[in-house]
This record gives sequence, C-alpha cells and structure tokens, in this order.
Amino acid sequence: MNPSTQGDLVVEDLAVHYGGVQAVNSVSFTVGAGRCLGIIGANGAGKTSTLKALMGLVPRKVGTLRLGDHDLTKVKPKDIVRHGIGYVPEGRHVFTGLTVEKNLLLGAYLRSWKGKTREKLAEVYEMFPVLGEMQHRLAGALSGGQQQMLAIGRALMSEPRLVLLDEPSMGLSPKLVEEILGTLQRLSASGLGLLLVEQNAKLTFEATETCVVMENGRIAMTGSSAELAHDPLVRQIYLGL
Amino acid sequence: MSSLLRTKPAAVKVAAAAAIGVAAWFLPYGLDTYGIHVVNIAVVFALLAVGLGLAMGVAGQINLAQVAFFGIGSYALAIFTTNSGLGFWVSAVLAMLATALAGLFVGVPALRVQSHYLGIVTLGLALAFTNWVTNAQVAGGASGINGIPAPPLFGIDLTNEYLYYYFELIVFALAIGFALFLVRTALGRRLRAMRDDSLAAGAVGAPVPLLRMTAFLTASVYGGAAGVLYAGLIHYIAPESFSVANMFLLLAMVIIGGRQSIVGCVIGAIALSLVREALVDFSVYAQLGYGSVVVLMVVFAPTGLAGLPRRIRTAVQRRRHRTAPALKAFRPYEAATETTESGSLEISGISKQFKGLRALDGVTLSVSPGEIRGIVGPNGSGKTTLFNVISGIYTASGGTASFNGRPLVGRRPYQLSHQGMSRTFQNLRLFAQMTVEENLLVALDRTPMRSAWQYVVWPIGIWRHERRLRRAAAELLDRFGLSDFAEDAPRSLPYGIQRRVELARAMAAEPSLLLLDEPAAGLNGQEVGQLQEIVRSIRDSGVTVVLIEHNMGLVMSLCDRVTVLASGRVIAEGTPAEVAVLPEVIEAYLGDSFSTAEVVEAVETEALQ
Amino acid sequence: MQVLLQTLVGGLSFGAVYALVAMGFSIVYRTMGLVNFAHGQVVMVGAYAASTFSMSSRLPFILAIVVAMVVTGLIALVMERVLRPLENKDFDLMLIGTIGFGVVLEALATIIWGATGHAVPTPVETGPLDLFGVRVRTYNLVVLGIAAVATVLLLLFLQRTKRGAAMQAVAMDHEAATAVGIHVGRSNAIAFAIGAGLAALAGGLVGPLLYVSPTLGGTLGIKGFAAAILGGFGNIGGAIAGGLAIGLLDSYASGQFQGYSDLVVFLAFTVIIMIRPTGFFGERTVNRA
Repeated sequence: MNPSTQGDLVVEDLAVHYGGVQAVNSVSFTVGAGRCLGIIGANGAGKTSTLKALMGLVPRKVGTLRLGDHDLTKVKPKDIVRHGIGYVPEGRHVFTGLTVEKNLLLGAYLRSWKGKTREKLAEVYEMFPVLGEMQHRLAGALSGGQQQMLAIGRALMSEPRLVLLDEPSMGLSPKLVEEILGTLQRLSASGLGLLLVEQNAKLTFEATETCVVMENGRIAMTGSSAELAHDPLVRQIYLGL
Repeated sequence: MSSLLRTKPAAVKVAAAAAIGVAAWFLPYGLDTYGIHVVNIAVVFALLAVGLGLAMGVAGQINLAQVAFFGIGSYALAIFTTNSGLGFWVSAVLAMLATALAGLFVGVPALRVQSHYLGIVTLGLALAFTNWVTNAQVAGGASGINGIPAPPLFGIDLTNEYLYYYFELIVFALAIGFALFLVRTALGRRLRAMRDDSLAAGAVGAPVPLLRMTAFLTASVYGGAAGVLYAGLIHYIAPESFSVANMFLLLAMVIIGGRQSIVGCVIGAIALSLVREALVDFSVYAQLGYGSVVVLMVVFAPTGLAGLPRRIRTAVQRRRHRTAPALKAFRPYEAATETTESGSLEISGISKQFKGLRALDGVTLSVSPGEIRGIVGPNGSGKTTLFNVISGIYTASGGTASFNGRPLVGRRPYQLSHQGMSRTFQNLRLFAQMTVEENLLVALDRTPMRSAWQYVVWPIGIWRHERRLRRAAAELLDRFGLSDFAEDAPRSLPYGIQRRVELARAMAAEPSLLLLDEPAAGLNGQEVGQLQEIVRSIRDSGVTVVLIEHNMGLVMSLCDRVTVLASGRVIAEGTPAEVAVLPEVIEAYLGDSFSTAEVVEAVETEALQ
Repeated sequence: MQVLLQTLVGGLSFGAVYALVAMGFSIVYRTMGLVNFAHGQVVMVGAYAASTFSMSSRLPFILAIVVAMVVTGLIALVMERVLRPLENKDFDLMLIGTIGFGVVLEALATIIWGATGHAVPTPVETGPLDLFGVRVRTYNLVVLGIAAVATVLLLLFLQRTKRGAAMQAVAMDHEAATAVGIHVGRSNAIAFAIGAGLAALAGGLVGPLLYVSPTLGGTLGIKGFAAAILGGFGNIGGAIAGGLAIGLLDSYASGQFQGYSDLVVFLAFTVIIMIRPTGFFGERTVNRA
C-alpha cells in the first residue's frame, strides 16, 4: 500500500449550484499523492461545498475528477470512499447515539468488520488513546475535541489515501487546535494525502505546503503556504487590512 | 405577451369571476333534480375544503379534524332544531358558535406541537368526536338524527333544492370572497409567513401562537357553516358522513386542487365530488383512483392543479432568459437630528445550556443607543446562540437581559419585535413562497392581533390599512433598490439580492435595535462595500446595530466597539483597534501567524485614513 | 380484583400489538424522518394476508404470518421508492403522500377481500389457563410471547449487526452516513420494509382477537401511532412502553366507559402530549435542520 505517484487527486472545473445560487464556480486544483493542500477563505466562500461536491454529497458539475487512474466524475459516494478518499465533515458529525467503537467501525462500512478492520481499529486507538479509553461510551458524550478525533479516526478506518478535512479546528480551544495540528502533521508524515479546509489560517499554513484561497465560490489565488501567510489579500480576508 | 403571462391584470380576474358567477347563476336551468342535489353537496364540500385549505395550505397547520368541525356544525344544528325545538336561524348561530369553540379547543395543541404530532392529535380528536356521536343518545347513536328542518327565509321554500342552490350560492360566494380577502391582506400574509418559516415570522412581529389559533378558528367556522348547510339540505345526518374516510377524501380534494390556493381547493372539491358521484357504483375504484392521484400529486405536482399554470410559466420563462433586472443603489435614510436614546441592550451573566453543552457561559455586554457593535469569535463560540437568546428564540438558562430598559428574558420573539427589535439570520430565512414585496409587507404590518376584528365588521378599515402598507412597501423597495424584484420569489434571486431583501425586511419593522447575523457572508467585495454604506446609514438614522461578522475588514471599519467571544465567554471588548492587538484575541481567533506588530501597524494606518 | 387482573392481561396483549405497530412507526421515523400514515393500512393488509394464508392454504399460523410479512415488506419497498424524491425535503408532503397510499391500500383490500371482512379462528385450541386464580386466554399469552421475541430480535438486529448500525447511523446523520459509504436510500428501504414486517406481524396476531375488515387498519394505526408518540417518537423502548400504556388505557376505558372508550383514550392522549410533547422517553429525531 505504498502511496504511488499515480495517486494525485485532480479536480478540474468544479461547479456547485444550490437553487439559484452558484456556490462553487470553475474550481480546479491538484493534491499530489501524500501531499497537503489547504483551502482557506471566508464563511460562504464555497469551501465546504467544494469538499461536499468531491464526496458526491451535493449535486455537482465537474470537468475532471480523478484519483490516480480512477475516474470519479460519475461515481457515487460509496465508490469515492472505496477508491480511497476519507471525509471529516464540518462540525464533526459523529453518530452521537452510537458508541465510539461503532462510529469507528462504520468508518469501515464497506469492508468486512473482521480481520484487517480490527487491526486498523487498534491502530486508531493507538493514535488516539483517549478513544480507546472511551470505546464503549456514546459518541455524544465526548467533548468537542474528542469528537473531532473520533471523526478523524472514523475517516481513517476506510484506509484512505487522501482525507478531506472540513474545519477540524471549529469550536475548539487554542490548546486543542494545537493538538489537531499535531495530529494532521503525524498523518501527513505517515504518507497520507490531506485536503484541509479551514477558517483558521494559522493552522492551515502550518499544516500544509500549498494553499488555495477561495472567494465567492472561485479560487482567488494559489501559492505556497509560506508566501500566502504574508500576502495582502489573505490579510484582507483575515484581518481586514 | 410575456408581460401578460407574468402579471395577469386584475381586469382579467374580475372578468373571469363574473363569467363564473353568471354561469353558476344559470347552472340549475340545465340540471334535473338529481343533478342539482349533487351540485348542492359539491358546494358544501367546497366550503369545507376552503376551510381546510386556509388551515393547511395557507397557515401550514396540519388539520385532520376538519370533518369533525363539519360534523359538529351539522349535529349541533340537528340537536338544537329537533331536540331543543329552537328555530333554524337561532340554531344555526349556536351551531356556528359551538364549532368555533371546538376549533379553538382543537387549536390549543397546535400551540405545543406541530407537523405530524398535530396530525395525530387532530385525527385522534376527530375520532373522539365520531365515537361520541355514535354512542350518545342525544345524537341519535348510530342511526343519527332525522327531521331536520330547512331554513325558513321570507317564505321562500328552501326544501326545493333549486332554491336551496341559490341560498348556498350566496353563502358560498360570501365565504369565498372573505377567504380571498383574508389571504390577500395583512392577516393572511402573516398566516402564510408563519407557514413558510415560523421562526422568521415571529422575528418580524407575527404573533405565531395567536395565528395558529386563528387558523383553527377560521377552519372551524368554515366547517361549521358547511355543516349547517349540509344538515339544512339533506335533513338527515348520521355518523358515517363524518368518518375518517371522508376526512381523507376532503384532504385529497385540497391536495389535488392545490392546498395553497383558495380557488384550487374549490376546484378540487367540486371535481372530486362530481367524480365520486359519477363512480358511485364503483366507489372502491374511485377511492383507489383518488388515493393514487394524491400520491402522484405530492410527488410530481405538490402545488396541485392550481399551481400548474405557474409551473408552466416558470418553465417557459426559464427557457427564454429574461434580461436580469439590476439591483439599484440604496437611497440613504435621513440622518436623525437628535441623539438616539432608544435601542439600548444590557446583557448580564447570560448562560445557555443545551444537553450537556454550555453554549453561553456568563456573557455580559452592554450596547448603548446609536452604537454599532461587532461580535466576533471563532465558529462555534456561541455568537448565534447569543442572538437567539436576545431575540427570544431561545430562553436563557441563567442571567438577565434588558432591551430599552425592559427585561427581555422570557419574552416571545414577536413581542420583542413590537418593542423595536429586528434581526436577520445567518442562513437567510425569507418566506420562500411569498414575493419579495410580500416579505416586506409582513414586516411592515405592525398592527396588533386585536385589530383583526375589523375583518368581520369593518373590512374597509383593513382595505385602507392595506393601501397604506403597499405604499410603504413601494417606498421601502425603492430605498433598498429592490423595486425591480418586487414580484419575484426570493429563491429565484441571486444570493446578494436575497441578503439585501432580508435586510430591507428587518428595517421594515422600523426597529430601534437591529441584529445582523453575518450580513456579509457570501457577498462579493462590491456588495460588502454597499452593505457597509447601508448599515452606516441605518445607524445614522438612529438605530442601534449589533452585528456578528467574520469579515474582519467590515468589522474594523464599521464597528464602534467589538466584543470577542470564545467558547461561550466574552474574552475581550473594546474598540476594533484595541481588541485586535490583544494577545488572547489573536491566539483564539486570528492565529499568531500574523505577528502582533504587523497588526498594530495596520490598525494605525487604518485609523489614520 | 380478579376482573381487574383479567382486564390487565387482556390490555397487555392488545398493548403488545400496539407496541409492534408503534415500533414499525418508530423505526421508519428514526431512520428516514417519515411518519407513515399508511402504516395502519399495512397492518390491515398483513392481517388479511396472514388470515387468508392460514385459513385457505392451511399454512401453519406462524408460517402464514411470515408470508404476510414478506408481502407487506414488498408493498413497503414500492411505497418507499415512489416517495423517495421527497425524502429529506418536504416532511408534510410526504406525510400526505402516505395518507394517499393508505387510501389506496384500503381500496385494494376491499377489492380483493370484499368490504365485509371475516372472523379468524384462534390458532391455539387449548382452553383458558388458570394463572394464580386468574383465567387467561392462552392466545393472549401467545401474542405477548411472540411480540416479546420479535422485539428482542429487532433490538439484536439494530445493536449487533452492521446493517443495523448503519441504519442507526443514517437516522442520526444521513450525510455523514453517506460519506462513510452507506447507501441511504437502501437503508431507508430496509427500514421501511422492517416497519411493514412488524405491521404484518401485528396484523397477523390481532386477527384472531378482532374481526378482520378493511377498516381495521384505521383504528389500529392511529392507536399505534399514538403509542409511538406517547413513548417518545423514534424510540424503540418508548414504543413498547407507549404500546402497553395505550393497551391498558384502552381496556380500562372500555371497562369503565363502554362505548366511549375511544373518546376517553384520545382525550387522554391529547392531554398527555400537551404536557409532554416528546413523550415518556423523549423523541429520537433525525436531523432535519
């Protein structure tokens, strides 16, 4: 399961409409295999819609969408998961009424729950010991930070090559945001590709190498995270300067 | 041609109504005695259906007790005339009163529960009614009551079904006229606003609990009138006429015809009555037929027959792109000459607890009149919860708050609206099935519910009020540059324009305090600039403004003071320049990739400009 | 005392039937957020199918019920497929759509089996049992037993199987469920079919207790729905509690108020719902923001 160079996620000309509203408009980018791409932008800029569209959760129009050699333009969400894309939704969206363990197992819904999935479960518990401690508790009883870890763990259970993360820092205290950053860096170091959507520019710039800035459903600019951190447009969005 | 399609002139409607009236007047000449009987029954059902349409389609209250209202009207009339020996007209009035009381009784649960809960409660109460009449001695048990007299009317023999038809026709015309008047004027608009979005309706001042009661009261009065007409027509009633099966038939009439349109309800009722009569020997197949049609209707044509012309029209319009009218410039309000004294907001130690989650934790803040206050903080820090507590949507778990010196905790949203509080919502809450103009008209109407008596005794007063409202709406549309969109459905408009409409709607209530929840979300740079200008003008006209915003540019340049929330607590407060340099704010919100020095420098530059 | 206990046992076995109906309502509601107003008519079709198979094909009673469950399950799949375009969109329209289906089912039943209905002989021939001095119809105990077994099986399915966990996940968050690869439409269809199966079980069991006719579904459906809401809508445990409560209330009311029992039951129900709109155990809702 070496992440091959063939595993790039290529998105060309993505568009999303809701009713009369164009939420995402001709968005194109590539996430190299095992690399990290960040998407930042204001609320309503179309970041979340972009991720949902990639997962097939909202109706979309897309020119090219492929992961490595697999064409994903027409496939259903379950095939996207099967081809190795995991998704951590905004606001965590864990299954609150189910146990931590059930939540994780459901992450591997498309696989058998025996054998390899058990190993993967142990791996996730090793990565997030707190989840192991609370495996029989209901997910709804977890704190915000723990739920975020659970959501990430759930996405890892399908053994993805690339994980889409939507605002993992949302509603978390600065200390927990640091922890999330550490987690992302560990994931990245393990060779997993990340597509990180964030409002927290600091976190994004530290966790990623390259970033795109979205504004009004379009990509306003693309660049290395280090450069963007000092770019006037980025400062305008985040500081209004 | 296309303009004719878009707005059918009133003259066409009047002419159509006149033609139908004439046709209805001469109809009996072409019918035998059986035919006129069928028509008489159909008219009764049409009346009943209009009542159901008003509750369900117009006010959005699931009412499965309509057939029970019908029954109460019939039974009360029957009991008063045959058992108590009262005259027909006295009995009719008493029967209507009894039904109205029943309507209020059935409406009470609607104050607590909605949707399917309301469905089962109303259906249960309807069953309770049939259960009672089948058993009660006074109601004649399963065999019912016979010998109900026809109404005496200046010596006209109303046992003659032809003459009874004209009697029914007059009552029916009045009932339809009233229903149409209601739907098209202030009270009906409030009902429709409640149907589309009860939260937003409350926030613009529509008294939701009273409106729910009004919906059931109106439905029951129509049901009672239908019941009286029915009993006076066939002189004999039995429990099976008011069974659940007939309730579902009535529901089918309203759904097939179009529940949101009075005319649609009438068409559905008359059509299905006639079909049922034609298939009287194959009633099971008729049942099969209308059941299937209901299913197909909800899936493919949820607006019913009455909604078809509009659907076709929009389909045609979509094909030939009409040139998009432009959003015009905002015309600023006149600046207030005196200093503002109203619109103050004092919040002290407010907490809000959801199951296990403390969304607000002892928030204290004070906004003085005429201020623009910004509330910022990371997503999930409790900003919108705070707005919901202030505007009465949530009740605080602890703490006190006052608006203009009056305590606000425990007040309902519509009461706060009438005291001068107005708000917008993060995810646009426009009344989707009303036009832009109607959206504003709902908020412009500041009359208390007690003046609704005018509908019954002084419709001219309503009409005058209506004309004033329309003038005010035109003025407001013009001020916000929205005149070209007055007749459009909000959903069909670009996002930026929808935001503008919501802002105009919030200002329609002439508030002293305006709460804006992320007004710039989804707007482009130019629109943000316009928004800034509008909010300034609103403040200068003497309105206090509190806004939640992520667009820091807007916050920095617009707000007098900024409050920063994190994890449900206030972590900082001050002028934008003061707040932006506080280390804890940068840590919690901005992220320290922007060094403090840079921020200070930039803020100073901003201050100089 | 004896009479009271006898009423109690009778009430409990009807209560068990209501509980099965209520569970059907609840499982559909919690997975797809739909109130199936045709559920009562599905119960009626189940009662007809079970009694027809057991009386005319001479199938054993239990087997006849299983066949009836399959039949209603298939009906449910059709209903779900037709109404799928409205899922997660317009709640009230879907509700009205199911009312339409209920009317259709009732008409179909009248066409197939006639309007008059038939009585179903009790499948248990033995005489009444004497339990601590109380005479109990054996069949009442059979009903209680089967209902209990069905409940246990349902709970095991939901808690122990992957498909059961997936159905619960869909109920809690259909978008997150889609994102882990669960086919929400299929999960909903299965939920609908299970609901219908429970309805057929309830119908098959109630056949020998009542007279089977096309209008049987109306009352059973409404009382079962009331039971589901009383317990806390969408809550399986609540459905059982609500079902037993309605069963007991019903038999008490028919003892005390004879013909007026429906009136009493529905007035009591209305009052309880006004006091506690979310029922005894609270609603388990789907996310419908």
